[in-house]
Amino acid sequence: MSEIRTFPDFLKRLIIVLGGLLFLAIIIFGVLIYTVPAISNFNNILLESFSNPIVMLNYLDSLGVGINSLFFKIVIFPGYTWAALIAAEIIWFERKFLGKMQMRVGPLYAGLIGGILQPLADVVKLLSKEMISPGRSDKLIFYSIPLLINAIGAALLVVLPVSEGWLIMRSDVSILIVFAVIGFAPISVLLAGWASNSKFPFIGGLRGLHQMIAFEIPMLMAALSVVLLSGSLDLVNIVQAQSSIWFIVLMPIGAIVFFIALLAELERIPFDIPEAESEIVVGYITEYSSMAFGNIQLGTYIRFYALSGIFTTLFLGGWYGPQFLPARFEIINQIEWFTLKTLLVMVIIIILRGVNPRFRIDLLLRFGWSRLLVLAILNLFIAIMILQMGWFPFLGGI
Amino acid sequence: MNFIFKLFNAIKSGMKHLFMRRLTFRYPNQKLRFYGDGYQYDPKEGVGVAGYRGRHILYLEKCTGCSLCFMMCKGISQAIQMINLPEKDVSINKKSNFPQIDYAKCVYCGFCVDICPFKALFETNEYEIVSYDKESLLFTPEQLAIKPKYKGTYEIQYGKRGAYHG
Amino acid sequence: MSELTISVGPQHPGSGHFRLIVKLDGDKIVEVIPDPGYVHRGEEKIAEYRNYIQNIPHFERPAIHDSSNILFAYVQAVEDLMNLKIPERGQYIRVIMAELNRIIAHLYYFAIYGIFVGHSTMFMWPMGDREHFIDLAQMISGQRVGFAFLIPGGVRNDIPEGMMTRVNDACNYFEKRLTEYERIFMNNPIFEKRAKGIGKLSKEDAIKLGVVGPTLRASGVKADIRKDEPYAVYDKLDFDIPVSKDCDSWARAWVHIEEMRQSMSIIKQALKDMPSGPVKLNLRGQIRAPPGEAFSRAEASRGAVSFYLVSNGGMNPYRIRLITPSFRNLIAIPHILKGLLLADIPPAFWSLDYWPVEADR
Repeated sequence: MSEIRTFPDFLKRLIIVLGGLLFLAIIIFGVLIYTVPAISNFNNILLESFSNPIVMLNYLDSLGVGINSLFFKIVIFPGYTWAALIAAEIIWFERKFLGKMQMRVGPLYAGLIGGILQPLADVVKLLSKEMISPGRSDKLIFYSIPLLINAIGAALLVVLPVSEGWLIMRSDVSILIVFAVIGFAPISVLLAGWASNSKFPFIGGLRGLHQMIAFEIPMLMAALSVVLLSGSLDLVNIVQAQSSIWFIVLMPIGAIVFFIALLAELERIPFDIPEAESEIVVGYITEYSSMAFGNIQLGTYIRFYALSGIFTTLFLGGWYGPQFLPARFEIINQIEWFTLKTLLVMVIIIILRGVNPRFRIDLLLRFGWSRLLVLAILNLFIAIMILQMGWFPFLGGI
Repeated sequence: MNFIFKLFNAIKSGMKHLFMRRLTFRYPNQKLRFYGDGYQYDPKEGVGVAGYRGRHILYLEKCTGCSLCFMMCKGISQAIQMINLPEKDVSINKKSNFPQIDYAKCVYCGFCVDICPFKALFETNEYEIVSYDKESLLFTPEQLAIKPKYKGTYEIQYGKRGAYHG
Repeated sequence: MSELTISVGPQHPGSGHFRLIVKLDGDKIVEVIPDPGYVHRGEEKIAEYRNYIQNIPHFERPAIHDSSNILFAYVQAVEDLMNLKIPERGQYIRVIMAELNRIIAHLYYFAIYGIFVGHSTMFMWPMGDREHFIDLAQMISGQRVGFAFLIPGGVRNDIPEGMMTRVNDACNYFEKRLTEYERIFMNNPIFEKRAKGIGKLSKEDAIKLGVVGPTLRASGVKADIRKDEPYAVYDKLDFDIPVSKDCDSWARAWVHIEEMRQSMSIIKQALKDMPSGPVKLNLRGQIRAPPGEAFSRAEASRGAVSFYLVSNGGMNPYRIRLITPSFRNLIAIPHILKGLLLADIPPAFWSLDYWPVEADR
């Protein structure tokens, strides 16, 4: 490892530690601390009494890191480790799924079956490379962008309601927090393009800025109509208002608008103009190497998971299973319904990636500012009409 | 509306492929099958026999050292040189000149096989010629005389759910 | 006002090996100056040092995945000089090989078009389907890429047994694949937005600039050397020339797909009608052409290729002049790219099917 002489060097070290080692360490530590005592047989005097899992969990509770504590929620379960594991899973799944659609195998050789350890192999490979930056780039901003992108993804996980009582923070203004954090994303893209001091990332950064700003407004208006119908800004209350009928049935246009704006915010194909155009190499992440690139990928996929979760919460009824299912489905409880629906949304987004080419930037902006905004406003009128007509008296709980 | 209909068609076409077989050919575990024994040439008829053009095979007892293969390859890629092997005593090869082939330069065009009038140089099915350094890609006449062992059994087959290598 | 000059250059994922000097005003293109010559290696001069047989692997290298069609023009020029008459069976096998090559080259065109537009599925499918035809070509000629199969006097070897069933299987399978291509790529609404109306080349401009091949046929001109000046056995086979009236990039891609269908029907007819007999004239000794000149043209997958051959009676040709279709289409690049946006450059110029190695020779 190189010496640390300036603040950007410190940021470099932080990226390596955060991206690679901390990720692995959190997973290993987080899993071990809750499973080893239950399955092993320590002969140590200190841990003799802890071979009983209940005693171990009580001990952890007294330390403040038990199952119901904030530490567990932030770090392990609906927090960073869980999201990072799902992000790694989705990277593998996307490659295999696209491979099957294209009549080829995806990753095959890493791991026992079907290349399942391929994301781990990618992390190890990225760790072993040298992190370089262009000569006259702005090193301070250049090395803080991966941390910012990771932070955006992680911050969105704070208000995601996985189940009725199981979320990290419940506040009265959850949706505003979500949109405030999403507002950082265009800044990060522009700064990444600017700080690289090279013409291809610069073009990619500008295009990313235009695209993300153009699609934030329809997203906001679609979410506004959901807020109107449910009567509160709190995500938990929004899900509770969908206990008998999901909002996607009441406002299909709003769901489609939100979905398309979601694709543009996440920079997925068909809207991945800032990222991977065959004419600007890789766009704003061209000059990043080694774990900085790994951090950006991880942050992007965690944001993918978090925003799909927000879509599920707003339109697909959160943690409620469909009411018409027979009784034997009752063992699937709330957490699993939520995860199932989020994964379904992600699979649909991956299918759209396999079948479509890329838009062009001026067609995209024209589409976003004219068609999508009109549809969003139309959806707002429909929401107001549903509320005023009184067909569903349980809505609009103000 | 037309937009959504065509997009739906595209998605349907993509989803149909989730149930088709993969075409990938897993190379080191599966090897391709070639019909025939390699490319050969019949100088009396003047036509070749269809086969794969891979590594050459030299029949030492038939080679007379006429250097026609050397002269043909001189204008293509200069991969053949004639060397003198005095210990090999073949009756029709008075000067004991035999060709050596440098596979770092050979383009596998097969014209050296076409020009040989004595049926001494043919091509075989083997194509996996790898080494760690360039010098061992130069095959001496004794190395060229060894018959290669290549056995492959996989080829493209057409099934109900698509085509695959089986 | 503020004009930016960038070079979409040789080291670029969207250009191939030649340079385009692009003058931009914001995002709009003001002028494009192509700068070929990056891969020029003097092939016409090298050809003067090799004899007629040694020139065959040499002249298939400019467009290696379309090699049989370029060699078609070369061997016909040599046979014109020497006044040879090729046996029927040899002509039929030449036509089969040329049409297989046409399908292989068109599939490569679609694969790269897919990458340039950002459609990764359209990159994988044509490359996978190419395997079937490369296997067929390998069964006939012995190599997967550089066939070197056509020589002055006929072809090098006969078709092995069992080709008919394999070709029929491959053609039936590929017909179904073409409907899938149309659904997922040609009729994809996002691709239509990117290709329809982009890169227009009107009929008068196409004739004035002298472009050839599918570019010309997509601008409404019905011109194909296989029908206008039939060579080999093309006058005995029954096929169609696809012509389109809209002159944009989508029409060029459409012409390529229709040509693949026609190629498959040509291959099936040729296999059925093939007479038996020798495939090659037995020219004992080396080939030595009498003094004279010869000119011959053929229809390669990208357009019309022509050879002009001058011989002074020696073992080597005295002078060979080769004009490839990409060289003729080069003049259309500045013409169609005027007024487009920067993001349109890779799809628009690739729809002309410009192959830099062929143009630079």
